[in-house]
Amino acid sequence: MDLTVRGAVKRFGAVTALAGVDLDVAEGELLTILGPSGSGKTTLLKVVAGFEVPDEGSVQLGSVDVTLAPPRARDVGMVFQNYALFPHLTVAQNVAFPLEMRRVPKAERQSRVAEALALVELSGYEARLPRQLSGGQQQRVALARSIVFNPRLLLLDEPFGALDRKLREAMQLEVRRLQRRLKLTTLFITHDQEEALILSDRIAVMNAGRLEQVGTPSEVYARPATRFVADFVGESNLFDGIAGPDATAEVPGLGRLFLAAQAGTPGARVTLLLRPEALRIGGAADPLANRAAGQVVETVFLGLSVKLRIQPEGGPELLVRLPLRPSEPPPALEGEIVTVGFAPEDVHVIRQA
Amino acid sequence: MSSARREAGLLPARPDPARARERVLVGLALPALLLLGVVFVWPLLRLLSMSVADGSLAQFEKATLDELYVAVLWDSMEIAALVTVICLALAYPVAAWLVQAGRIGFLLGMFFLLLPFWTSVLVRTYAWMVLLGRNGVVNRTLRDWGWIEFPLPLLHNLTGVLIGIVHVMLPYMVFPIYAALLRIDPDLQRAAEGLGAPAWRSFLRIILPLSLPGVFAGCALVFVITLGFFITPALLGGGHVMMIAMLIEQQVREFLDWPFAAALATVLLAATLVIYAALSRLTGGQGHAAR
Amino acid sequence: MTSIRMTRRAALAAGLGAAALPAPAFAQSAPAKPDRIVVNASGGAMANLFRRTYNAEFERRHGIRVVDTSPVDFGKLRAMVESGNVEWTVTELGGQDFVRAKQMNLLEPLDLSILDLSRYPEAVRDTHVFPSSVYSTVLAYRTDVFRDGNHPKGWAEFWDVRRFPGPRSLRNHPVDNLEFALLADGVPMDKLYPIDIDRALRKLTEIRPHVSVWWTTGQQPAQLLVDREVVLASGWNGRFYELAQRGAPVAVEWQGGSAKQNAFGIPRGTRHAHWANQFLQVMTEPRLQAVYATELAYPGLHPDTPNFVTDAVKPHLPTTPANLEKQFWLGVDWWTENGQRAQEAWNRWMLRR
Repeated sequence: MDLTVRGAVKRFGAVTALAGVDLDVAEGELLTILGPSGSGKTTLLKVVAGFEVPDEGSVQLGSVDVTLAPPRARDVGMVFQNYALFPHLTVAQNVAFPLEMRRVPKAERQSRVAEALALVELSGYEARLPRQLSGGQQQRVALARSIVFNPRLLLLDEPFGALDRKLREAMQLEVRRLQRRLKLTTLFITHDQEEALILSDRIAVMNAGRLEQVGTPSEVYARPATRFVADFVGESNLFDGIAGPDATAEVPGLGRLFLAAQAGTPGARVTLLLRPEALRIGGAADPLANRAAGQVVETVFLGLSVKLRIQPEGGPELLVRLPLRPSEPPPALEGEIVTVGFAPEDVHVIRQA
Repeated sequence: MSSARREAGLLPARPDPARARERVLVGLALPALLLLGVVFVWPLLRLLSMSVADGSLAQFEKATLDELYVAVLWDSMEIAALVTVICLALAYPVAAWLVQAGRIGFLLGMFFLLLPFWTSVLVRTYAWMVLLGRNGVVNRTLRDWGWIEFPLPLLHNLTGVLIGIVHVMLPYMVFPIYAALLRIDPDLQRAAEGLGAPAWRSFLRIILPLSLPGVFAGCALVFVITLGFFITPALLGGGHVMMIAMLIEQQVREFLDWPFAAALATVLLAATLVIYAALSRLTGGQGHAAR
Repeated sequence: MTSIRMTRRAALAAGLGAAALPAPAFAQSAPAKPDRIVVNASGGAMANLFRRTYNAEFERRHGIRVVDTSPVDFGKLRAMVESGNVEWTVTELGGQDFVRAKQMNLLEPLDLSILDLSRYPEAVRDTHVFPSSVYSTVLAYRTDVFRDGNHPKGWAEFWDVRRFPGPRSLRNHPVDNLEFALLADGVPMDKLYPIDIDRALRKLTEIRPHVSVWWTTGQQPAQLLVDREVVLASGWNGRFYELAQRGAPVAVEWQGGSAKQNAFGIPRGTRHAHWANQFLQVMTEPRLQAVYATELAYPGLHPDTPNFVTDAVKPHLPTTPANLEKQFWLGVDWWTENGQRAQEAWNRWMLRR
């Protein structure tokens, strides 16, 4: 393991920012800490970077315990939310800074700076000052500066927040490519679940100072471990119900649902997750084991898909997402009564603690 | 649609909000500018005209060539420079501390910094005389502790003058530096540390250059204001320190020789401007970049 | 021209007063009473004493309030008179300024039909300047350092650092000091003027290493003696008198003292010249002068004043005959003529290291 965090606890007065975090990041892996603001992800980042010392627990880089080491002794490259470029230094001087601090000889420094700038496609910008660059360019400089000294670990603290959507997507892919190419062990912090799903090898979902689940994007999306993860990552239909016999569950308002496997001892309380794209309506719903009739309350056109809110009588509202081809008419109109159905395999059961 | 039509001149021009805002701001600044014109620029012009009132440059000749006035002007500059350097050395750490101090620490620091402004110059100066004299509090204490055998010459010499002036001038140095440090993104310090800089190197390479505009503003303020001191050097210098403002005051109050006083003041002003320009050229590039 | 305009304005003011408020027949000779007059003098202890003596008496006699302002400022007097906006009814004239004030035509002539100076010594009577009191710059010493009458008696002995060792203080100003130096150098009191500036400065060079403080304000020499910063000092007799009254071990040697008069005048163009003269008339009152002398040791010049002073106070007054014969009168005319030249020479000498 390249980064190992064990039992990290950090309190600020009465507030517990980290309530015992264990985390392993493998060499060359990009792991994303995903969580809402206030979940403790920034504190975790600071503990890893060395800006905060945990009250309990340890941080290890490779085989070295760095829990108490100052930031400069950790060999960690970090890209800050606002890039934190030194405004009075040129692009080249910014990128050369970590090499200068490591007393790399001047000639080598120059060639490595040129190399790093070439990697982020900013050759020729050496003499500019940060304020003469666009936001995306500034971000590339920050990236070049944090990788030029071949750090053990790269930390990215919500680096795309300030960019507009198109630029953000381009930068995300660029960072991903660069990270793969250089095999950089990377810890990425974001509150944007979409970004996390696109970029990560693995995602650690954080809530209230704890990691709720660590897994690949598809695991986290398809098989969330907790209700919080299910709700925070992607769109979802979540029902509370009671496990029944023979792979069924009883949900108030929806009746008995058929599941792919036994949800638990009959009578246990369970939460059922149904992703919107797993639902079908009309004829497509007929062969499915679970069906209900409901009224279309709202349709939202999304280009590649259409989102419907369907209200079964006496039951919970259902969110449905259907693929859409440009030539096709809308699958249902608002006010229409339709059949809505889903397969037992598409119901994910979250056991309640 | 409507914007295209407006560009084509089909719609009446709407007032540009940015321009309107600028006009309001200028309007708001106008009273202050007028006041400055009346209480500063106008007297300055009168001062200049007074110094050449007899149609000759004789007053200037005396003010710039007479070795007495040249020597005192030079001494004054030296003292002002010394005060500036001492203030800088003392003020920078104070400003750096204030930036990261908590609420209580900040208020306490402000209180002590502003304390000299709440007392009159005479009271303040006499207080220093009580403290610094041969039998003053400082010397008595040091003698009681056995640190010294003979009283240190702290008063009625340059040391006393420097102490007295630095005391009042310190806030003028602290506040601009404090403001400059406050403007620096704390992430820059973290970034520097994270990239491998020990504290002293991140200070020298990042924080210090970025705070230079504040340092320069503080130095300029302290230097210029110090040049105008006359009560403090007269009392704490015991007659052994002469500053140009003391001579100007003598000409104004005692001999009513306003033309010569005006010439001296003009020379002082010119010398100050030259030094100011030189200083700002020296640090100007850095200051602008750090804006 | 100006004086005509002034009289016209005064007449106008009087006329307006008369029109607005028909004057009773018995007050015909005195102009209308203003509700107040402004007396400008040195502030501090002197202002308090003024309020208790002259101001109170004037208010009692005439029913006009006296407002006191400070400080004494020759430049302001000149500016007031020249701008025609005279705020002061009566003002003190500092140092030797009264000669110049008269020369520069800044003063109203005294109205000797109101102000009775007939019993004042001929030598101090003037057409424009009222001699309010006498003070003297004298030699003061610490009585615990120089005991049993074994103190410097005159300036020659002040200069004798072998017989009378210890740090000294003199005023940072040529007035008095040039005279003291000449006396120390053996010039008789009646041959001081015209002053040989070079000779005086040469003599001052001898004592210079032993002068640790060149004082600026009148309070300084007294404080320096009390704090033992110096053991000998020149200074104004009233300040040392005050110390002695408080029991400080400080006494005065009258030999070689430099006596001079304090002066009051009426700024030209003042609105209430009549009441200004009335105020000065109150200041001639021997009883009040005696109170003033007893408190500050600055006696007025009315010949009857000593009759109202106790014998304990008399040795402390510069005008007591035994004291007066040891002192010289400062050559005000010489200083008016040569002050700026002497000051410049003094500055040059001070600057020489």
